[in-house]
Amino acid sequence: MKKLLVVVFIATMLISCQSEPDNLLLLDELVVSTNYDPGATFGSYATYAIPTDTIGFISSSSNDTILVSSAENRYYPREVLEQVMQNLNDRQYTRVARNESPDLGVNVYVVQDLNISQQVIYPNYYYPYYYGYGSYYSYPYVNTYAYNTGALVVEIVDLKNVTIDNKVKVIWNASMGDVYSTLDLVDQSVKAIDQAFAQSNYLVHEN
Amino acid sequence: MKTRNILLVFFLFPAFFAEAQENYFYVNWNGNIPLSSTEYIDNFSSRGARIGYRKFIGMNKRFSAGIDFNWAQYDQYKPKETFVNETGAITTDYYNYIYQYGLTVSSQYYFPLGDNDRFFPYVGLGLGANRNEYTVYYNIYTDTDEVFGFLARPEAGILVGVGESRKVGFIAVVHYDFSTNSAERFDYSNFSSVGFQLGIVMLQW
Repeated sequence: MKKLLVVVFIATMLISCQSEPDNLLLLDELVVSTNYDPGATFGSYATYAIPTDTIGFISSSSNDTILVSSAENRYYPREVLEQVMQNLNDRQYTRVARNESPDLGVNVYVVQDLNISQQVIYPNYYYPYYYGYGSYYSYPYVNTYAYNTGALVVEIVDLKNVTIDNKVKVIWNASMGDVYSTLDLVDQSVKAIDQAFAQSNYLVHEN
Repeated sequence: MKTRNILLVFFLFPAFFAEAQENYFYVNWNGNIPLSSTEYIDNFSSRGARIGYRKFIGMNKRFSAGIDFNWAQYDQYKPKETFVNETGAITTDYYNYIYQYGLTVSSQYYFPLGDNDRFFPYVGLGLGANRNEYTVYYNIYTDTDEVFGFLARPEAGILVGVGESRKVGFIAVVHYDFSTNSAERFDYSNFSSVGFQLGIVMLQW
């Protein structure tokens, strides 16, 4: 029996050596995913509209629907909006006001997914060494784990081809995450936006 | 059919008809390098180990049969890369990991070295099952594919007894692992590796 226990112990030790990668290396840049509508002719659009200081906020744990630039959030909304504008301008698109019939609308928002899981813990029985002391029992308790995940999303909407029933189509989007585990949120988001445009070379206005 | 009968004799006969003989238990460190799926990982891995129990068959200790369990972890960092698909692209740096567990029954043949009872060179073959977990880590995200397959492991090694009592010894092994684990998500049809092991043997366990 002792030998079997030794074998089980050694096997358990071996399996517990299984490791995961260095998070600091993986978290220093956001994952940048872009998608586009193959039917869209990106060169045919000339103008776009975009907010200046406000981005959307979709959360499973908050009632807020927007994020407004402030010192508290290091002017994050403005920083990301300006970077999107910079990239669109570099691609020969022209920013206009919303009431100037832009060809493209740009939505920028953060999606927060707050995952909460719970686990019921059943503590072990502890029997006293001395008779007459009475056994001690801990009641089960619930451990709650919460972890935040989130992505910065940029969408480009075709306002030039609104359908008869007034619907618009997203012709490009970029999803960048995770924005809740970053080492430097503003800097990494700005770089991720640049990367999103860099891997979308079709996104350019043709004069 | 013939092959199956040979395998049955090779593995089962010695185990069932073993007379009371000496045996040994070993714990080995295991270094490996993958030979297949090398675009996924081609790094040498020093994270691995194997334990096993073997029983000598017959008075002259030419054969042994036993069971082996091994664990290995392969990992490799891949710098930032852009993957283009039909309607977009994704850019990230990432780690590729393979967590490998194998369980085999094995049989060994020991070469005679005259009257020497200190050195036991041997060749062996293990057959069993292999579990590979392919995991890609990128940012906080993971993609995992867990696959099982048949494992064949030919190996050559040497046992070295130490001291007067020969109760403890050392073992050195080179082995080749071939398994049929296919990971469709990562486009791999099998997994093979070569490895080197060094360990401690407890004789007459």
